[in-house]
Amino acid sequence: MPILTIDNQQIEVLKGTNVLEAAKGLGIVIPHFCYHEALGAVGACRLCAMNFVEGPVKGIQMACMIEAKDEMVITTTDQASQEMRARVIEWLMMYHPHDCPVCDEGGECQLQDMTIAGGHDIRRYGGKKRTYSNQDLGPFICHEMNRCIQCYRCVRTYQDYCGGTDFGVLGTNQRVYFGRFRDGRLESPFSGNIVDACPTGVFTDRTFRYRTRYWDIEEAPSVCPHCSLGCAVIPGGRFRELQRVRGGVNKQTNGFFICDRARFGGGYGNHPERPRVPRVDGAQTTWPEALRALRKRITDLVARHGPGAVAFLGSPRASLEANYLLDSWAASLGSRRIAFDSHWQHDRSARVAAGKLGPRAASLEDIRCSDFILMIGVDPLNEAPMLALAVRQAVRRGVRLAVIDPRPVTLPCAAAHLPLAPEALPDVLEALAGGDIRRLGRREAVLLEGILEQLRAAERPVLIGGPDLLGAAGIERLLDTARLLASEHRPCKVMTVLAGPNSFGCGVLARQGPDFEAILNGMLAGEIKALVCLESDPMTGSSDPARTGMALGKLELLAALDYLPTAAAHHAHLFLPTTAVPESAGVYVNNEGRMLLFSSAMDPGTPISVSGGGDHPPRTFLPATPGSEPRPAWATLGHLQGRRLSLRDIRQAIEMEHPNFAGLSSLTTGGEGKRIADISPPPETAPEIPFPHSEGEGTLRLYAMEDFAGSGELAGYASALAPLRPTPFVMLGALDAKQRSLSDGQQVRLRSELGGVGVALRVVPDLPAGIALVPRLRGTALESYVPGRGHYDCQILSEDEEKT
Amino acid sequence: MKQHEQVLFKNRSPGETAFLETYRKSGGYQGLEKALTKMSPEQVREEVKKSGLRGRGGAGFATGMKWSFFPADKPGEKYLVCNGDEMEPGTYKDREILMADPHQLVEGMIISAYALQIPVGVIFIRYAYEQCSRNLERAIAEAMEAGLLGKNILKSDFSFELHLHRSAGRYICGEETALLNSLEGVRANPRSKPPFPAQKGIFGKPTNVNNVETFANVQHIIAHGSAWFKNLAFTESGSGTKLYCLSGHLERPECFELPIGISLGAVIEEYGGGVWRGRRFKAALPGGASTPYLTAEHLGVGLDFDPIEKAGSRLGTGAVTVFDETTCMVAATLNLNRFFARESCGWCTPCRDGLPFINWLLEKIENGQGEMGDIDMLREQIRNINGRTFCALAMGAMGPMQSLVDLFEEEIIDHIKKRCCPLKT
Ligand SMILES: Cc1cc2nc3c(=O)[nH]c(=O)nc-3n(C[C@H](O)[C@H](O)[C@H](O)COP(=O)(O)O)c2cc1C
Ligand code: SF4
Ligand code: SF4
Ligand code: SF4
Ligand code: FES
Repeated sequence: MPILTIDNQQIEVLKGTNVLEAAKGLGIVIPHFCYHEALGAVGACRLCAMNFVEGPVKGIQMACMIEAKDEMVITTTDQASQEMRARVIEWLMMYHPHDCPVCDEGGECQLQDMTIAGGHDIRRYGGKKRTYSNQDLGPFICHEMNRCIQCYRCVRTYQDYCGGTDFGVLGTNQRVYFGRFRDGRLESPFSGNIVDACPTGVFTDRTFRYRTRYWDIEEAPSVCPHCSLGCAVIPGGRFRELQRVRGGVNKQTNGFFICDRARFGGGYGNHPERPRVPRVDGAQTTWPEALRALRKRITDLVARHGPGAVAFLGSPRASLEANYLLDSWAASLGSRRIAFDSHWQHDRSARVAAGKLGPRAASLEDIRCSDFILMIGVDPLNEAPMLALAVRQAVRRGVRLAVIDPRPVTLPCAAAHLPLAPEALPDVLEALAGGDIRRLGRREAVLLEGILEQLRAAERPVLIGGPDLLGAAGIERLLDTARLLASEHRPCKVMTVLAGPNSFGCGVLARQGPDFEAILNGMLAGEIKALVCLESDPMTGSSDPARTGMALGKLELLAALDYLPTAAAHHAHLFLPTTAVPESAGVYVNNEGRMLLFSSAMDPGTPISVSGGGDHPPRTFLPATPGSEPRPAWATLGHLQGRRLSLRDIRQAIEMEHPNFAGLSSLTTGGEGKRIADISPPPETAPEIPFPHSEGEGTLRLYAMEDFAGSGELAGYASALAPLRPTPFVMLGALDAKQRSLSDGQQVRLRSELGGVGVALRVVPDLPAGIALVPRLRGTALESYVPGRGHYDCQILSEDEEKT
Repeated sequence: MKQHEQVLFKNRSPGETAFLETYRKSGGYQGLEKALTKMSPEQVREEVKKSGLRGRGGAGFATGMKWSFFPADKPGEKYLVCNGDEMEPGTYKDREILMADPHQLVEGMIISAYALQIPVGVIFIRYAYEQCSRNLERAIAEAMEAGLLGKNILKSDFSFELHLHRSAGRYICGEETALLNSLEGVRANPRSKPPFPAQKGIFGKPTNVNNVETFANVQHIIAHGSAWFKNLAFTESGSGTKLYCLSGHLERPECFELPIGISLGAVIEEYGGGVWRGRRFKAALPGGASTPYLTAEHLGVGLDFDPIEKAGSRLGTGAVTVFDETTCMVAATLNLNRFFARESCGWCTPCRDGLPFINWLLEKIENGQGEMGDIDMLREQIRNINGRTFCALAMGAMGPMQSLVDLFEEEIIDHIKKRCCPLKT
């Protein structure tokens, strides 16, 4: 490890560290623009000049481009390097419009900071300024090119890191331009990262435009609740409204970037219909009244029908603390009827992952560093977007990626795709685990042989799977495969994508407990009289919404704690408002089993609408902030059990009861989190639930799949994501389409047990025969098609056929 | 006008291009035959090294030395690239070769490919050189036809395929690493070195880049020996001949093949026909637009790499541009700098924005709005651009610029004091 001297201080750094980073280690922060930890050093801005006095290189050099070496003696305070940095800033500011007063970047602008730090003050250049015209880049990102300092960070983020192709550098010399070939929405699902990457106000968040100055926004490190990966995010609120989300740093999970679902999908907590007041039997009431009513009704039911009459439903989007308190409440009542995910397959998959993943769990960082990746039954861009980027980083290094999936898994990188029907996936897993490969077709067997060969040859292979197509049994088999492929010297890691941000945590809590199917049967049989839903909506969450709706209708008491205007919240006899994620603190356990702390960025309250319509100043002054009734679910659940608990108390209790969570109470925000200890015994896998279906003439097997912005429960309530939601469509293979004389883009009729619906047809060349796919799109006719439920029998007819 | 031995221009005749027949009659492809039948690749490399041949593309790097860094003996994908971008103002020697005798480049590249054991070559040529491109296409086809190029050349087990690529036409495409990017189909921004092209070139594979004139010399060295080649030069340190392309205020601004080391004064007087219109000599760029000016006191300097460097300039590409006594050096340098500012690839700040800053300063001075402080500002700009950029383009721009303030400071002061250009009538 080299030791070098910078400004008379010595520092030892890891081999390969550049001098700019080494100086940072000493607390010497030299202005820089083009260098970015995730994007690397490219030596473009020439701002990070230092004077190399002794060592292998001499003179003024760009510190980011020089690897730290022994015997280097460097100064940053000498006249020559200071002059250089001041001149670079002066050059960068030659054409700058000096529009800080109206620039959204103002206050958090690196150009402002570096200009001061670089020592350039008075403008000397008196020539004409270059002016650019800006582009309309769509609903999410504003473009103001005149503020550009040509650090190339945006393109390096958009093209190199994220794999976007519709945005880049145009032109040369002092007219280089960062934009699209022509106006239009940025197509990459990671487009928002250029807002974070751009050190100036060229790219700013349009949804946040002109709303808040940096020093007025309240921010806190948090965790993204939109999927199971646990990316670090920094939500920011003002005027009681979540105004923006930007990427946080967690080198084990997302790294530096996040997906657009996270960035622009934070508005679920601002939803105009968000229920903010406790309600009993449809009437708003006070907290004490509602709590008393709930306790009383439950006590009555237990007294009348025994503890088994009350069931509980936790949630993969509720914190570990709240789920735990729900569990302990159930236990204190003597009820063992608690499930943590109303979706059977998701629930079981989470339990398998929690019980069996163990040290083989791959983090996103492991994937970025892997040397062979096999994805089976997983569609990252739609199910866990940042996984797609992690995979891309490996592929950029030349790593091979094989995808086995019936869906047209689109990725921001090259992959070998083997489109097999979902029914074939168990055989594939079997074959991978050493079973008979000939059970598959000839072509498939050959391809699989190749994949197996690469898998065996790799040093750091990773297998990735998801529950929607593999199911819990498939996930289990995937883990077995990894175990068989691993040796003492060669680990074979696995990533299982799960349903929600805390699915893993729920999987640990659920252990051998019942699943929602059992609870559903209990409700239908009339044994269960009450259901308490913690931040969960079985009406849309379960695999069978129709049956669930029927069962809920039979209940004497449906109680809901939530921050979303869900169907369950709407129908609940008793409703208690909870705080949304950016308004709460807690822990999520991501799909890898990593405990991640999120803290509260803001207090709940109805967003202030600055209408200017005569309502300011307010005529009536309230004693409390309007809409501030929501309370953290864990606080309410503690209260219901008559316990006054702090988060710390709860975490300690969790550690005591579940040794897996050791270290929970010493977690800190903004860190990398901590993987749980692997101790609980693997759960037994329950048998697959058969779905009745009849295969008739022209019947297709229809699978529902996740959509980037249309399927997620939270995303569904985030209005800003609307432009990203597709209009309903169904996908069909080329052959099946031809047989039915249907063509791409045509309007068709989709008929299944759920009824008939008109959708557009998308013909996908290599979709396996006999298969059709629809995205689950909330708020549309495709809402009730649930991914991970198995297939629906369906027919696809042209509109004319339908009429006859 | 004294006649010197013509090597590269042996077959040059006005308005005509020598193709295979003429070329062979004059001894063409004998070097290739000798190399393939009588020499090992290593011997070819050794001979080129001994010849003292230095790169003709501008930097003057010793070719034998460059080749010694190339992993010739390692099998695998490797590329040979000829840099025919030639976009520096004043430089047109490569065009003269390709207009007169294109087979010289083809043969030179085949021998070099043999020496470096490279199976694939690409000639990267300036887009405006359409006739040269056609000449090369014909030469390549003829060579293929004659079994001099392609599979099993001259029935040996050496094979070499040669492609022609027309450049998109930016000066930066001539910078060898930007050229490689351009060939790969990405933006022509230079790459950082190391890794050098010899380690990681096109598509990450070892690549050797040389200039047209450099390659054209190779078969003559092989055919006639390194000793003969060294003897062609006037100077002890130099070797070979050089194509000096003259431009500017001369009676005869043409391209001549002359021994390395011939004096600047001799080139101007004997070959260029002297300064035009009977005027007096003021300054010259001895090696292209990116070399510092030389003045009358340097007319005795031999046009060879080392002597010119001692005189404070560079041989560069051997493009001699002459300025007569009526030239405003501020305006001339501004004109040069405008070229460099326009051709900046836009990657690094000192070049992209620093060169326009200097344009503004020089325009101000030239227009009579300069202030005395501007000279310091100009020096400070040069100081912070020179050696501080990502590639050598801006350094090239600073060549004439530095010599402007060093040699013609009086003239700048004159502009400022008189509040106008003293040479404008
Ligand atoms: C801005 C710039 C432009 C250049 N243009 C050319 C060119 O047009 N032709 C050329 O041969 N070399 C050019 N060079 C030099 C090449 O980078 C490289 O040194 C040369 O091709 C090597 O060949 P040689 O060793 O045979 O001289 C240029 C260099 C710079 C920095
Ligand atoms: S737009 Fe922003 S990120 Fe892109 S080059 Fe300009 S300043 Fe840098
Ligand atoms: S990948 Fe998942 S966790 Fe990460 S930012 Fe996107 S939705 Fe959130
Ligand atoms: S000096 Fe910088 S901007 Fe200029 S051409 Fe080279 S890399 Fe491009
Ligand atoms: S940060 Fe080092 S050159 Fe830009």
